[in-house]
Amino acid sequence: MMKKSLLMVSVMLTLAFAIGGCATKGDLNEVQAREMAISAKADQAAQDAEAAKAAADEALLKANEAAARAEAAERRAEERERIAAEKERIAEEKARQAEAIFQKSMKK
Amino acid sequence: MLSMCILLFNGCAATRDILERLPFPGLASDRIETNYFLVHQGDDVLGQLGGIKLKKGDTLPDIARHFSLGINTIHAANPGIDVWVPRAGEHIVLPLSFILPEAPRKGIVINLAAMRLFYFKKDGNLLAVSTFPVGIGTEERPTPMGRMYITRKKLRPTWYVPASIAADHRKRGDPLPATVPPGPLNPLGEYALYLSKPGYLVHGTNKPASVGLRATNGCIRLYPEDIKRLFDTTLVKTPVKIVNQPYLVGRRDGVVYLEAHAPFEVSDSTALKKAYAKLKRIQNSTGLALDWHKVKKVVDEARGIPVPVSAIGSGGKTVEAQTTRVRHPDKLYGQPQVPEFRTDAWYVLAANFRDKVDARRLAAIINHQGPQIPARVLSMSGRHRVLAGPFHSNGEAGDAAKRMRIDLDIEGILVAPVEQRKTETGK
Repeated sequence: MMKKSLLMVSVMLTLAFAIGGCATKGDLNEVQAREMAISAKADQAAQDAEAAKAAADEALLKANEAAARAEAAERRAEERERIAAEKERIAEEKARQAEAIFQKSMKK
Repeated sequence: MLSMCILLFNGCAATRDILERLPFPGLASDRIETNYFLVHQGDDVLGQLGGIKLKKGDTLPDIARHFSLGINTIHAANPGIDVWVPRAGEHIVLPLSFILPEAPRKGIVINLAAMRLFYFKKDGNLLAVSTFPVGIGTEERPTPMGRMYITRKKLRPTWYVPASIAADHRKRGDPLPATVPPGPLNPLGEYALYLSKPGYLVHGTNKPASVGLRATNGCIRLYPEDIKRLFDTTLVKTPVKIVNQPYLVGRRDGVVYLEAHAPFEVSDSTALKKAYAKLKRIQNSTGLALDWHKVKKVVDEARGIPVPVSAIGSGGKTVEAQTTRVRHPDKLYGQPQVPEFRTDAWYVLAANFRDKVDARRLAAIINHQGPQIPARVLSMSGRHRVLAGPFHSNGEAGDAAKRMRIDLDIEGILVAPVEQRKTETGK
């Protein structure tokens, strides 16, 4: 009777150990899989971030270029305006001088 | 029938729409009154504004003369328009509306500020006025003001050169004879009315482009065609009153008008204060509400045009509505003509420009000298040469070159006829 009981206990313990051992391996696999997935995601995220940064850098570069072009265009427009105003001033000055000479010539 | 009516109606509406978009509404007229007006009881404002579209080759002095206006008024009424080289297609205002100066409506009244003469006469039971633009004395030799009268009339007068003018000319290297007989070189023109103030005349001119300028030695100058009309109708002993009123206030059809001219003395505000006082008196006595912002604008702009400054009632019209569109005449009266270019004639090269507008301006100024010196622009290889001529001889070309040097500070170069140049160079 005593032997039977001992056998039962040992069988139970073996089973328990066996069952317990199987659960730990599965967990390990799962953890490994999760780790791999996370790692893959992290890699992807890093790649995405890299791509996004590159895109952002490119956009910034383009924006800077556009701003520089706009500034240059503005400067050119201002220059054109200045030249036009100067031309107009010169034309008005010439007209005034011509008018003064004409008026002088109309005296007796 | 109905569809035709609809078409006709649409046509009218479309035409109306086009006309409303034009600067001066209404159909173009061939004629606008320039000199003769009836003065109705209680009215101080005469005539109406005109509007005209410029053609290529027009100058403001030519338009001014055709419509019996002075260069001063057409220039003031159209600020920003080039006097000598206006753009073809531009619309300009013809300031043919005037406020009578504050003076007895009798005989001749001359308003120096407006550079305009008014001659009042009876026309049946009505009072009529003939009005002409004038040229007046310079700042150094101003036209005297006050009451005087016509002492005598002279057809084809001789000019007895005053000592002061003779001295001026001598200094400029252009000595004058003691007397200048009638003819194209006589600055008095063909007709003269002598004023009771010794040494002062109302006369014609050999420089028509000077009408509307302060260019005389105190005399009053009129266009040759205007002095003829004045001379023919004016009697000896006609009273003459000369005033200087840059701000004119008047009424027509119950509307109050203000006309402002640039004053000769900017610092003298007496005339302006007087005009404001008159406007206030009118406002108080009639109850008419005056637009004082508009009053200030009219004074600041000084365009020489009567502008309504009281509320426009049923009898009054806006300035735009009062403007009559005038068709451009085929030929402008008195416009200088330039003879055909000839290779057998003498010329004077007046200037050589890169800018065609500069060249056209100088050519126009030379053309408007009195007597005329014909001038044209010859453009070649991006350069624009102003050539005065043609002249029959070396001497004639030399005289023109001398006049251009003295009057316009131009050092011209004499250009011999092509045939003569070929002979000289052996080509």
